[in-house]
Amino acid sequence: MATDNANADGFGEVSRVRGIVFEYLSLGASVFGLVALGVLLVYVAIDAFDLANASPEWLLTYFLTLVVPFLAFCLYSADDAAVTRRALGALGGGLVAVAALFTAIEALVVPIPRLNWQLAYLFVVAAPVTAYLAYVGSGGRVGAVGFGLLGRLVGGVAVGLAAGTLFLVFDPLLWFLAYTLGVLPAVGLYALGRLRSSPRAQTATVPVGLVGLVAAAFLREVVATYPSDLLIYLWTIAIPVAAAGALLVGDRRGRTAAVAVGGAPLVVATAGGFLASSAGLPAPTVLLVLVLTGVPTAVYVSRVVDAGEGLAGLGLPFLLAGGVIAGALVVQTFGFPTPEPWLDGSFLTAAPSRTPTDAGLYPAIVGSVIIIALVAVLSFALGVGTSVFLEEYTPGTGPLGTLTRILQVNVANLAAVPSVVYGLLGLGLFANLLGLGIGTAVTAALTLSLLILPITIISAQEAIRSVPDDLRRGSDAMGATRWQTTKNVVLPEAMPGILTGTILALGRAIGETAPLIMIGAATTVFRAPDSLFSRFSAMPMQIYTWAGFPQADFRYGVVAAGVITLLIILVGMNGTAILLRNRAERGS
Amino acid sequence: MTDSTESPDLSRRGGLTRLKEGTYGGLFAACAAITLLTTVAIFVTLLSDALVFFRSVPIAEFLTGINWSPNPAGGGQAFGIIPLLIGTLTVTITAAFISIPIGTLTAIYLSEYATPNARSILKPLLEILAGIPTVVYGYFALVYVTPALKATLFPEMSTFNALAASIMVGIMTIPMVSSISEDAMSAVPDELRQAGYGLGATKFEVSTGIVVPASISGIASSYILAVSRAIGETMIVVVAMGAQARMPEIQEALFGIPFVNPADVLLQSGMTITVAMVQITGGDLTGGTLPYNSMFALGLALFAVTLVMNVISDIIAQRYREEY
Repeated sequence: MATDNANADGFGEVSRVRGIVFEYLSLGASVFGLVALGVLLVYVAIDAFDLANASPEWLLTYFLTLVVPFLAFCLYSADDAAVTRRALGALGGGLVAVAALFTAIEALVVPIPRLNWQLAYLFVVAAPVTAYLAYVGSGGRVGAVGFGLLGRLVGGVAVGLAAGTLFLVFDPLLWFLAYTLGVLPAVGLYALGRLRSSPRAQTATVPVGLVGLVAAAFLREVVATYPSDLLIYLWTIAIPVAAAGALLVGDRRGRTAAVAVGGAPLVVATAGGFLASSAGLPAPTVLLVLVLTGVPTAVYVSRVVDAGEGLAGLGLPFLLAGGVIAGALVVQTFGFPTPEPWLDGSFLTAAPSRTPTDAGLYPAIVGSVIIIALVAVLSFALGVGTSVFLEEYTPGTGPLGTLTRILQVNVANLAAVPSVVYGLLGLGLFANLLGLGIGTAVTAALTLSLLILPITIISAQEAIRSVPDDLRRGSDAMGATRWQTTKNVVLPEAMPGILTGTILALGRAIGETAPLIMIGAATTVFRAPDSLFSRFSAMPMQIYTWAGFPQADFRYGVVAAGVITLLIILVGMNGTAILLRNRAERGS
Repeated sequence: MTDSTESPDLSRRGGLTRLKEGTYGGLFAACAAITLLTTVAIFVTLLSDALVFFRSVPIAEFLTGINWSPNPAGGGQAFGIIPLLIGTLTVTITAAFISIPIGTLTAIYLSEYATPNARSILKPLLEILAGIPTVVYGYFALVYVTPALKATLFPEMSTFNALAASIMVGIMTIPMVSSISEDAMSAVPDELRQAGYGLGATKFEVSTGIVVPASISGIASSYILAVSRAIGETMIVVVAMGAQARMPEIQEALFGIPFVNPADVLLQSGMTITVAMVQITGGDLTGGTLPYNSMFALGLALFAVTLVMNVISDIIAQRYREEY
């Protein structure tokens, strides 16, 4: 009875305070890291774009010409009175709140360095509201069309630039021969096999392609005269891309539309390519960018026009471009003081330098693009191969099952090995033992491929595992072999998931620095690498080097610009991966 | 005697098909073999050079030496791992002070309190913390965090210091703790929670008194993984912590008990195992020298420690898991 009495005192007394405090404490903990990162990102953005020196008039002009029309577009697309009210309330209320709070902190507590209330409003209120509205707006038909078009324009430019960069290292002449002798016959044979439904022609695809590639490698040493680079790109890339675009449209809209969609960008790109050299731009890159932007855009526009919905969305790129031009005009007419951003065109196209204002990231960007392209190919092939073997080819029991489990544990452990140890592996094995050279692009690519391989394998396995077993059984029941089931059923179903995982893993590879240091990558190179075996630098490597410079202009300007460039590329890659995943989820 | 009856050969296939099947199967097996080969290659590479190193520097001297100077100007190399271990421990423990409480609270919030909507937004956002390149974190620590700390809390702090680096390592490892712990907490069956509520427990009591103990094996394994990640972290410490292998000054407190002032370690520059490895790459990389080999000995130590920690975390997660 004594215990009963003791309990009776506290019985029924529930402390609400403790529960509430705990809930908000854990909520605070959940956002602590994000808030800390957010503050740091705001500061690095301010440094990179020199926003601390932006005059309020300058900020207001661009806010009115660029941000406000964009928000209006999103609101128009969302077409929801509740969203409109909420957004306007947040923008208006936020203005008052941030201004008051900021002034109070500055006056009473501490002055906040390099930040004024206008900037604080921009980052704390305007940016999240814009992101929210862009998310809501993309749900509407008009917004989806607008963002789709914008994505194709930006993506086309990015892919075109990357492709142009790759040809700095890979021999375009070899590619010309390989394409003409290997790729083209193989694709032709495959298409013929599909058309006549003759499996024999399809089986011959791979051997014919391989023979062509070998012949190309042999002829490269023999043949002496080649067409000009521009013609090679026109023949090997521009025409096939245009033809693919035309085929996509021709199925549904007839010959005229197909010719327009394929032909118009091709003509523009060819003209641009020939005119570029007189303007001082690299002609092949201009051609690639124009055709890789133009054809997907034309296909997309044709589809939208065909569907007849959300046509207003096609105006989004013009809205934004118009906003930039109008803003620039206003700033120029009234002579508003403009900031001098560290991250500008010359930063992306110049070589590193000892003088902060001249310093650029170009050779490091080229190095990163080349390494990532190699890593993408290697880790995708190895990752898919391994995960297919583990998921489709090995039984769960018996001695082979044990082997599978060992492989599985091994992959999990490899994923946790510190990246600096992979660097040692690259240095000891690839650079010194195999003689691929210290600090060469090949060594770096091999090292980084092994580094991200476990992540690629694990995500690819998840994607393959999520393919319903019924599909496999259905394919088996129709007499398909294991490889046929894998090729025709499992891989197509799992491909979006595999691609998403691979791109996310590549995002990890592009930011890795420690392995590059260990294999002796150059801290600074002044010329873009011109072969796979030349010394190279990469973006994170260059950031690391610059961060060690003591001058304030480097620490607070040049490095910030480099960091923002790296982060923008990362966000672009991860955004693509997430879009892929969302689309696949919506499709299934 | 059904065995002896001849069944029709359903799998009759042409030689070409069989060849194709075999080729692809072999290709996939070869891909899988590469992952095993990677592990073997790591072992062999680290071990072979480390063994050469231990022929010149005895293991005992390496493990107990209190002086690390692989490339001294005046000669007299010394390869003692103790100061590096102290640096690594400093960073790891300080980072754990940030990542473990915050990560655990985050996991509790996500699994017990957050609405599905909030969870679907917060979870991917938290993953961003682990996706930022570490060199960027290092830059943040050096250029923003250190000056901020210097201006407010610790005026005597040096430009390169362990504290700012550790804070960043801690923030980076938050998602590692939170996501694995949250998985473990979400796996706790709802009946246990309902039983708790049935006994009159509050949400706070259910979260801390039922869910956390029930998922303690997963939580513990997440801690170990986060710590192992912090041990292997390189770029944050290389950029922000400097490169001075120092032994902390041992002071005598009351009654002659020796102690180390934490400020001595945290506010000053230091050197971790990973920093020491990066330092050596500034010299000759073609191999054959003692500093070059010492890098592999350090790598071996690092690899062994992280491997052991991962295996322990795995065992804890497997063996002590409550089966429901």
